[in-house]
Amino acid sequence: MLFPTLAFGIFFLFVYFTAWSLDRENGRRKLFLLLASWFFYAQWDWRFVALLIVSAILNWGVAALIARQTDKRSGWLVGLGVAVNLLILGFFKYYGFFIEQAGDLLAQFGWERDLPLLQIVLPVGISFFTFQGISYVVDVHRGKTPPAKSLLDVMLLMSFFPHLVAGPIVRASDLLPQFDRTPRLTRAMATHGLLLIVWGLFKKTVIASEISVNLVDPVFFDPSAYGAVDIAAAVYGYAVQIYCDFSAYSDMAIGIAALLGYSFPRNFDQPYRASSMQSFWRRWHISLSSWLRDYLYVPLGGGRKGLISSCINVFITMVLGGLWHGAAWTFLAWGTLHGGVQVIERLGRAAFGDRKVVPTVIGVLVTFHIVCLGWILFRAENFGLAMAMLQGLGRIGPVVALTPLLLTLIVGGLAMHWLPPRAIEGLAERLKTAPSLTLGLLIGAAFLLIEAVRPDGVAPFIYFQF
Amino acid sequence: MSDDTTGKDQDQRYMLEPFPVQRTDSPFPPLFESLPPSPADPSSDWIASADAHDLPTRENRLAALGRFAFPPAPPLDDEGVAARDRRWASRTIFVVAAFLLIFNAVSPLNWSRQQAPGWVQGTVQQMSEVWVAQLAVFGVDMPRQGVREMWTTARQARFISQGVSRGAREDSTDKAGSPTIR
Repeated sequence: MLFPTLAFGIFFLFVYFTAWSLDRENGRRKLFLLLASWFFYAQWDWRFVALLIVSAILNWGVAALIARQTDKRSGWLVGLGVAVNLLILGFFKYYGFFIEQAGDLLAQFGWERDLPLLQIVLPVGISFFTFQGISYVVDVHRGKTPPAKSLLDVMLLMSFFPHLVAGPIVRASDLLPQFDRTPRLTRAMATHGLLLIVWGLFKKTVIASEISVNLVDPVFFDPSAYGAVDIAAAVYGYAVQIYCDFSAYSDMAIGIAALLGYSFPRNFDQPYRASSMQSFWRRWHISLSSWLRDYLYVPLGGGRKGLISSCINVFITMVLGGLWHGAAWTFLAWGTLHGGVQVIERLGRAAFGDRKVVPTVIGVLVTFHIVCLGWILFRAENFGLAMAMLQGLGRIGPVVALTPLLLTLIVGGLAMHWLPPRAIEGLAERLKTAPSLTLGLLIGAAFLLIEAVRPDGVAPFIYFQF
Repeated sequence: MSDDTTGKDQDQRYMLEPFPVQRTDSPFPPLFESLPPSPADPSSDWIASADAHDLPTRENRLAALGRFAFPPAPPLDDEGVAARDRRWASRTIFVVAAFLLIFNAVSPLNWSRQQAPGWVQGTVQQMSEVWVAQLAVFGVDMPRQGVREMWTTARQARFISQGVSRGAREDSTDKAGSPTIR
């Protein structure tokens, strides 16, 4: 059940009105939201609802045991909790990849073995809910968040349908306190939520879908059939597509949660305005980058042990961040590129200090093109196709795929990064005083415009596969 | 017998005398000197910094009423404000849903055509077809169609160097092959 579908619209209307009719009894309300979330998840594969339940019970149990330890010797419990989460993630996501690589490695040494290859279906959103589980256990151990008051809270934390399949990664410290009492719905929250849903729908179904179907997919499928202009347009187009696709999901998730009375953290902040790779990661998928910082980079030692150690730690973090996106060498190379550039930036800062070596405009352009280079690795099925894309950038040929509309959408998708930083919030503040009829008609008209121009069908969000 | 004796006693008691024999209660207040000494004042609770204007004064209810016929209601508490905001949000969502049900009526029809055949799909499709046909009489499908046509035109546009529109070719194929209501 994808967000931009009629089925989800009907599902959400039912959840919205039922949840608010239960607002006098917070426990029942949470139970209803949990059941609705399981129903939502079961639309992909009902068997994995059990995985969600088992994962929540394990994390709740480990956190409860950690909270009971009074002598601060709960390190092994944290290790157990993290290991169980990683085991679940590793089995479903990386088992096939590592077995395949191990088989190839053994074959090179002449020890060919029939390793047990399994056709494992990847549960949707497993990377997100396992990372949430890890952060909950570690935060309880660090004392950053108290253990949840009930198993129901942990289950709802991990299963809450707005963020379940593609984030943002909402931490326990963000959401558990909100579960303690019946939430309130203010006009500002409702207006903001509705605008975010409309904005996300526009980005996903109009910009991302149009660019994907008519430009990116055909060019990345067979780069040899296109000239430099089409290939360059496809690369820029993919940069816009992945931003509009993923940020759209986050926007809609935040908006849907807001209409149910819950507040999620921001996940994107105009990432292509970044003038350095470090700045890019403070703006792109913020919930993941801050997760990697707090639960990987800092435990590795962070920047406490000097420059070299800091560079090694950030490199390891980014490589593992690449691997998080998928079990493929291209993702590993993507993470390596981002880690390598960040290491260079750190060395540069160590050499030149805080002096501004390059103008901001140059920094933005260079960072954007490095990011685009990374997107080629990210999008290509294998290294061969990635190399074909890069080679095609030097091939003169007719413009076949790029059209004026697609060019407008690419330029528009990039230009939206130069809107005022809190444009939606500002608009929501203005519209929240409008009568419900006026706002309803405005939102309805916006929905109608989007519905009129969107292509048939809806492609799944890119980040569902992670 | 006994009744007669009682009547004589009463006559003797109220017999008129030349001088009053009893002092009746005075109709005037007692003299100050005759009053028992009053108890000492309690210790003072005077606060030097207090201003008489700060002390609570009795509100003149008529003055507070002013020109109103009845006193205005107290302001809404948090619960009341929250309920009011929630009703406002629900009304907004209801308006959006109703608007789309009228002006985007083909959406349920398109959805039903993409589903596997079944009772629900069949029912939704039949109801949607009737609904779309009824609304088309009033022309409420025109805005959607108009925007759709403009978008299709924009999609078919090509750069000068590209020659014949690929989109136009695709559209002509579509028209011949798959009838999709948009």
